[in-house]
Amino acid sequence: MVAVERELTETLPTATAPITADAIPLALRRRGASPRQVLAMTIVGIFVLALFASRDLPSWVGGISDERVVERAQTGAIKWDDAMASLGLVRPHEALRAWVSWALELKWSRDPR
Amino acid sequence: MLFPTLGFLLFFLIVAAAMAVLDTRFTAKKAVLVGASYYFYAQWDWRFCFLLAGSSVVSYLAGQLIDAAPDRRRRQIILGIAVALHLGLLGAFKYFDFFISSANQLARLLGLEHELPFIEILLPVGISFFTFHGISYITDVYRGDVAVCRNPLDMLLYMSFFPQLVAGPIVRAAYFLPQLARPSAEPIPIGPALLLILVGLFKKVVIANYVATGLVDPVFSAPTSYGGPDLLLATYGYAVQIYCDFSAYSDMAIALAALLGFRFPANFNQPYRSQRLREFWQRWHISLSTWLRDYLYKPLGGNRGGRLKTYRNLLLTMLLGGLWHGAAWKFIAWGALHGGGLTVERMLEPWIGRRALSPVAKIVATLVVFHFVCFAWIFFRAEDFGMAALYIGGLAAGWSGGLQQAGPFVVALIALGLAGQFTSDALFDRAATAFARVPSWGLGAVAGIVVALINALGPEGVAPFIYFRF
Repeated sequence: MVAVERELTETLPTATAPITADAIPLALRRRGASPRQVLAMTIVGIFVLALFASRDLPSWVGGISDERVVERAQTGAIKWDDAMASLGLVRPHEALRAWVSWALELKWSRDPR
Repeated sequence: MLFPTLGFLLFFLIVAAAMAVLDTRFTAKKAVLVGASYYFYAQWDWRFCFLLAGSSVVSYLAGQLIDAAPDRRRRQIILGIAVALHLGLLGAFKYFDFFISSANQLARLLGLEHELPFIEILLPVGISFFTFHGISYITDVYRGDVAVCRNPLDMLLYMSFFPQLVAGPIVRAAYFLPQLARPSAEPIPIGPALLLILVGLFKKVVIANYVATGLVDPVFSAPTSYGGPDLLLATYGYAVQIYCDFSAYSDMAIALAALLGFRFPANFNQPYRSQRLREFWQRWHISLSTWLRDYLYKPLGGNRGGRLKTYRNLLLTMLLGGLWHGAAWKFIAWGALHGGGLTVERMLEPWIGRRALSPVAKIVATLVVFHFVCFAWIFFRAEDFGMAALYIGGLAAGWSGGLQQAGPFVVALIALGLAGQFTSDALFDRAATAFARVPSWGLGAVAGIVVALINALGPEGVAPFIYFRF
């Protein structure tokens, strides 16, 4: 009898029960920011990304669907990348890419010669 | 427009600017978000926007009519028509050609010469997700779980909100519509949101991409060319890839919604640490599994009609859940495996029951569930049923050679992806709390540097998310 009651209780709709848990729990939502601070974060983030990821900027610009914009933007992106290269800001990017290429080439054992 | 692209970053910058400028004007903010969401969706194909708008109109009108209907019978009729319209739309775009192809195969088996024509229409991205949103709303209004939505703008935004539009999570009307009734008094959780974006980017750009290109794609496309070790590792690899791909999208969707002032439900919770298949479905694609439970399993009778009906309902729910993923027999097989697994688990419950497991038994149970899930993934990932059979045949034989395809880097990424299943929640909470103490410009700088690092670690270009095609 208890088992039957439990089964029935499990399937009854509970309108007041929460449907599902929030992805970001309440404890982590107590501190926060305003929409203006979100905008500030986004602008600073894009600027810093443009500084350190300038090597990929021309290909990213090429991914924008508007062809009228792409040509001029790509020229600008290449100039920007040259400027970042002269400041040495592309070095971390190139070092990481080189490391990944090396890691991808790793094999379990050397070829017998 | 994929999340990890420059185009999306600029799009989000404009949306964030609009939210900052509009500040307390909540209705204007919602109108901007509807416009932005339709622009976002139009990037795939502008014609799909009419479909989305049509689906929203059907849901809105059905809600009004159900609310105004004088008796239960009329409410049921309106609900039935509205659900049929939604499912009809989904069926026409997603399943029509599948049923035609299956009917033609059957006709050939029966020796009939006439073949039915295909319509070959493009599958609109995210149609399964916004259809489920629409059905969720009208069913909740019918059940009295949510107040009818009087504001058309709210309905348009609920159906089209861009963070979840193309690959979920499936957000219930009862969960989201109240958030549109009045602006949230809570601050924007910028720290946890940013952390979710960065973790999601790493999972997608680095782990999912390299595991796919370095191991899973080549092995699954020619399984007969590889031995058992590569096949087994590619199965584990796909388990990691699909988790890192899909949960990354969910993480980013949750974070983007949070940055715009909205809450989303959790969609993943370390599913591969599950000790029961039932637990796996409480941790994997939670928004879909709870949707199937509440709008399919329970209406079928749930566990109220005795054991046999419970097993039937479980099987039917999982079969349809499999079919939801795609119009192919391999997805039905995947659903059948999970339905069968859940049924067997339910049958064994008197023995394995709800008793606490010993530490060793917990490890064994986790391994059993993980390998069962991996086995089912073979059907999910293989090109078709025949390839899945070849793959499983290869796993059962040919263990003499070592690893040909998988290098140490890819194996390390698979190990990292699996290790992430067993980290403590407290780790994320501590990092998010630390992030929350940093001023917004500092967070921007941190985000810029980390995104640049992730970009440098990842391959050039970003593959579409797996769940876009569902």
